[in-house]
Amino acid sequence: MTTIADLVNSGAIVKIDVDLAPREQPLRLLYGTPQFIAWLREILGGAQAPRLLGYTSITEQIDDLFYSFLSGQQLIFTKQFRVVRAEDNAVWELKTPDVRIFGWFMARDCFVAVYGNWADTIKDHDLYRGYRIAIRRLRRELGIDTTLCVRGRAPEDVLSVRH
Amino acid sequence: MFFRFDIEARSRVAGRLIGGVRRELLKAITEEKRAGLSQQELARRLESERSNINRQLSGEAEITLRSLADLAWALGREITVELRRPDSAAGQNIGPTTSTIGYQPVRIIAPKTSND
Repeated sequence: MTTIADLVNSGAIVKIDVDLAPREQPLRLLYGTPQFIAWLREILGGAQAPRLLGYTSITEQIDDLFYSFLSGQQLIFTKQFRVVRAEDNAVWELKTPDVRIFGWFMARDCFVAVYGNWADTIKDHDLYRGYRIAIRRLRRELGIDTTLCVRGRAPEDVLSVRH
Repeated sequence: MFFRFDIEARSRVAGRLIGGVRRELLKAITEEKRAGLSQQELARRLESERSNINRQLSGEAEITLRSLADLAWALGREITVELRRPDSAAGQNIGPTTSTIGYQPVRIIAPKTSND
């Protein structure tokens, strides 16, 4: 049975973090595949969407998304995250005005980001199905069974809310 | 090994403030919708177009202080504003100090090994 530690030790996934304030602690876990980390490097290197929709910059949008996720804040269902297709062991999407991030929840509050792309590009080329299939294939290749994949498809199955 | 998504501090403050305001508005609207408020009714109260409100809530348009106040009024909510110095007290997490120079090369931080 593959464990999160196995995936980290093999380099299949890398833990992602952002600066939190001194009074904050990470309340969720965020990982990315090497391919996703490479995409983040491009973003930090100045990569820009063909058409910027958001009022804030791409890096600000992603930092805020990661920050709100990791600090345990409530993410708004369908506006900031949604299930790509309502099915068991689903693929999920995190959203900013200009960016879409696809991956899955290994456990509640523990997300693995696999693909990132511009929202416009994904909608124009209808890439949802392709990403969903690719992520399911990746999970199979990594030997991930249902123990490392949230089965439920409801928002409360994947994210807890801090009160 | 971990990867830190590290952006310039000024940019970080702006992005998180704007994102936080947007989240608060979306939370309030979601709650009011459950209580029966439609987006159409919200637009009517604000004497605005639904598309304008949607663009603000989706992060595609600026939410000015005036429009924030208007939305809070239409949703029957109070706004709390506070500027405070960063806390420093016993028992708190001491966050690492990271680069505040914009868009630097990404740092992969790995634990030291016996070969280092």
